[in-house]
Amino acid sequence: MAKRIIYPIYQLGNPQMRFFRPPFTMTLVRPGKEQPPDTVQFRIPMEITKFDVRNYLETIYSVPVAAVRTRIQYCTNKKRNHLNQRVKRPDYKVAYVQLVFNWVQAQQQTFQFPDIFPETEKKYEEGTAEEMQEKFMEDERQRQKPDPRRGGVTEWFGL
Amino acid sequence: MAAAVTSRLSAALCRQFQRVVTVSSFTQAHYAAQTISKFQSCQQRAPVYSRALHTSCVRKGLDEFFDLPENWGEPTVKSGAPWTAKQLRTKSNEDLHKLWYVLLKEKNMLLTIEQEAKRQCLQMPSPERVKKVERSMKRLDTVVQERADSLRLLQTGQEKARPGAWRKNVFGKTIWYKFREHPIPWHLNTRYKRKRFYEPLHVTPYTRLSLEKHLKSKVRKERREKRRHKELAEIFPKKTAVA
Repeated sequence: MAKRIIYPIYQLGNPQMRFFRPPFTMTLVRPGKEQPPDTVQFRIPMEITKFDVRNYLETIYSVPVAAVRTRIQYCTNKKRNHLNQRVKRPDYKVAYVQLVFNWVQAQQQTFQFPDIFPETEKKYEEGTAEEMQEKFMEDERQRQKPDPRRGGVTEWFGL
Repeated sequence: MAAAVTSRLSAALCRQFQRVVTVSSFTQAHYAAQTISKFQSCQQRAPVYSRALHTSCVRKGLDEFFDLPENWGEPTVKSGAPWTAKQLRTKSNEDLHKLWYVLLKEKNMLLTIEQEAKRQCLQMPSPERVKKVERSMKRLDTVVQERADSLRLLQTGQEKARPGAWRKNVFGKTIWYKFREHPIPWHLNTRYKRKRFYEPLHVTPYTRLSLEKHLKSKVRKERREKRRHKELAEIFPKKTAVA
């Protein structure tokens, strides 16, 4: 199942195809261009369609979906490897999923990509190389600052 | 006059009927509301009994694409070992089915973190988790495949899921031909009939030659290996390890 899927030939009256162990993954990404607040952007494999995305989110994640739009992102073919051969970056499909209007609370459901790598104060142990470097950089920054007694007057002016 | 009276009567009757209908609908609605409230109370009561079974709270929606908020910004995130095939074989089919979805969600979460880290030019916290999840999924797949195979062997006696046969192609090579689904029978399928699964007469001498070539190369390879072993044995006479 997870390797390669051979779809059976559809004949009229055949049952719908069911997946018992779906091998497809969806990656939630931060939108590059600004999107409306109710739109979520995903990177999805090439094989999935809009309907599959809707079913995926509604059945596995129980997220009601209003609309799905997809496009295929062409990736660059310009890169060269060490043998000067062209290296293709794999293309991928992008899905824009609109969330359902919440009628119970009468407000639009919004999604904001959270900051999952928040800036934390780094504390180095004393005597390590990183701590020394940090100290040195701090001193350098202090030295680069202009003299506060000059009151913002440029260096070349004056005796 | 009579018509007017009958019409008035019928209107009154209709009104009565209407009232009856509305009353009945009201009672039904009331009943339905009661049942719903009962159902809800049951639902509310259920988690109290099964609380001991659950270890993590149910997070729903798009939050499942991200790690737990307390793990955000951590340089490393602790994770267990991947599931081994031995552990998975002890589970029932239902459990495996559930576990697949758990693993799939975990993988989606990890891929999201990986992509975001790549975007911000940062290192992903504990990138070995992706491989672990992938391994677990692969093993789960093999276990399910094993079960399907054994069931098929029991029921139909077929060894392979996709039937096939050993055939000769046009170049005289013997190949394993996998059967495919066709919408029409083979004798109507012109594209299938165009394929030739036999050795043409003019190819026969060449198959003989190719076989000879294969055998010769095989013998040569063996001889080369033997010679190499001999030379190595001369250079390193002390037999510490089998080369």
